[in-house]
Amino acid sequence: MKTLSEWESKRRLAGLPYPKELLATSRAQAEDFVAALGKPVVAKASGVAHKTEGGLVRFGIDARSVGPTWDELAAAGDGSVLLAEQLSAELELIVGGYRDPSFGPLVTIGIGGIAAEIFGDVVAILAPPEPGEVAAAVRQLAGRKLLDGIRGGPPVDVHALAKIVDVVAGLLVADPAVAEIDCNPVMVCKGRPMAVDALVVLEDGAAA
Amino acid sequence: MSLDSLFKPKSVAVYGASAADSRKLGNTLLKNAASGAGDVLAVHPEADVIDGIPAVAKLHRPVDLALISVPDRRVEAAVVDAAAAGCGAAIVLSSGFGETGAEGRAVQDRLVAIARAAGMRLIGPNCMGVVSHLGSGRWLNGSYFWRIPTTPGGLSFVSQSGAFGGMFFGHMRSGGLGLSRFLSVGNSADVGITDALEWLGDDPQTTAIGMFVEGFGDGRRFVEVARKVTARKPVVVLKAGKMAAGAKAAASHTGSMAGSHAAVRAALRRAGVIEAADTETFFDAMDAAAVGLRKKPVRNIAVVTISGGPSVLAADASERAGLALPSLSAATVERLRGLVPSFAALGNPIDLTPQCPIDGFIPAIEAIYADPAVDGVVAINCGLDLKPFGTGVARGVAATGKPTTAFVLDAPGVEAEMAGAGVLRFASPERAVNALASGV
Repeated sequence: MKTLSEWESKRRLAGLPYPKELLATSRAQAEDFVAALGKPVVAKASGVAHKTEGGLVRFGIDARSVGPTWDELAAAGDGSVLLAEQLSAELELIVGGYRDPSFGPLVTIGIGGIAAEIFGDVVAILAPPEPGEVAAAVRQLAGRKLLDGIRGGPPVDVHALAKIVDVVAGLLVADPAVAEIDCNPVMVCKGRPMAVDALVVLEDGAAA
Repeated sequence: MSLDSLFKPKSVAVYGASAADSRKLGNTLLKNAASGAGDVLAVHPEADVIDGIPAVAKLHRPVDLALISVPDRRVEAAVVDAAAAGCGAAIVLSSGFGETGAEGRAVQDRLVAIARAAGMRLIGPNCMGVVSHLGSGRWLNGSYFWRIPTTPGGLSFVSQSGAFGGMFFGHMRSGGLGLSRFLSVGNSADVGITDALEWLGDDPQTTAIGMFVEGFGDGRRFVEVARKVTARKPVVVLKAGKMAAGAKAAASHTGSMAGSHAAVRAALRRAGVIEAADTETFFDAMDAAAVGLRKKPVRNIAVVTISGGPSVLAADASERAGLALPSLSAATVERLRGLVPSFAALGNPIDLTPQCPIDGFIPAIEAIYADPAVDGVVAINCGLDLKPFGTGVARGVAATGKPTTAFVLDAPGVEAEMAGAGVLRFASPERAVNALASGV
């Protein structure tokens, strides 16, 4: 199986709500982006799998640190660095897609975060979802109360979440070469879900 | 294509009974078939009669159903014979085909081709056969099972495992519910679970369907068929093999976390099928479906009891199952106060206490049934065999139709009253609650 880069994956998943971001191919481009945004960003090496585990994701990068960070991450990856607006989220979700040999394409909604795989709290829906199935799936999650609003915060906009699920389902149904999709994390900021990272995995032999 | 010749045959031919040794499996099959179906004959190269049944060397006329239980290397000839005679359906009970590898698979494919060319449906190979209520207490037993239920009813069952079929019949013997149809599909070379489900969905005699499934084959077709069936009658599935998550190397979190059972759950949810977690809950949910408990969805239950501890267990199970235990209305509580001891607990569970005056049970339980806050009842009675407790439940059910399950221990008089009202009893308080909640 072949995994596409985050940048390329996000281009395939057109229509997802993303934070403001740029694939900076030069140090100057990176500095301009941070200056224009006026607040700290996340910087990620490009073209490298398991970026977090490799220490290649840096938070709180400001106008002063962006230059040296670009130099370092560009050298560790494919020569470009992905810069994105840094979000503060009340909840992380994972939206994904995969294929089952018997039931074909499915989309998933799960509780994200560092313990996501320990809890394994994920629900699947046959793709494409039918009306009401995303809301029903959310109610099947063990952590469903997290989506109702944490400590008086706003509930997750399930309609907006369903739109993310529809984009994932759309790609999976339209392109048989796509084997798996991860939108991980989908960060929920004031109730609004945003796809911060995305990964598209192609079947063996598929042309990227 | 119709499965009428499989489930409602007027004539049956049996291949594989021995003329020399009546203890052979094929002779069991012949005896079983002859015990109920009217027109039965054996096919045997030499004998004229086997165990009192007329035998022919080749099938000389079309019959509805051929039962084939010959050694694997002779199965193809038997299928050719049945197809040439114009049989409507053939069940190959013999093993040694697709389940053994590529060579067996090739023979199996030939059997399907022969059957399809002749317009004959093929069931199996490698299965336990069919059991079907033909009406008026007459049974077709086209299976190896020598002890089948004889109580007719609305429940039909389809199994991908022959051995689980035996567990099903064991349950039916102990549970006392009536059977409509049973089919073991074996390797599903031609007729699979979805075909059987489709036919049973249209079968007026079948009111509820249970299925034991190892694999769904064309899963999307199953969903399309099942959702049409569940709009008319409940379908309960026990899926074996839930542990495949992570079995395949996955490049994404989604691929490694979701696994194959998440897909099954998604499919069954869309199809409106009730999924049971294990054998025990499967039989409980199937029985609940068969008696029509699922016709009215239950959210708010009353636990009516004279037994404190077991009713608390029922309350715990209700919470886990997503059922609420609402407070009774003030008017109901007022009515109960005049009927039961002052120390009776009138919350929910409602403990009438063993000290309840014997004349109090029937009106008290009727009042609980009449309360609009309650849409279902779990009755629990451990060892207080005062018939009015059961009569109260029976009258409550008759008056309101509110779905009810029970746990009754050592109280045969109470149990008989409930059985008379069609109230299912379960082996523990939790199972009584879960059966009421199944599919919630």
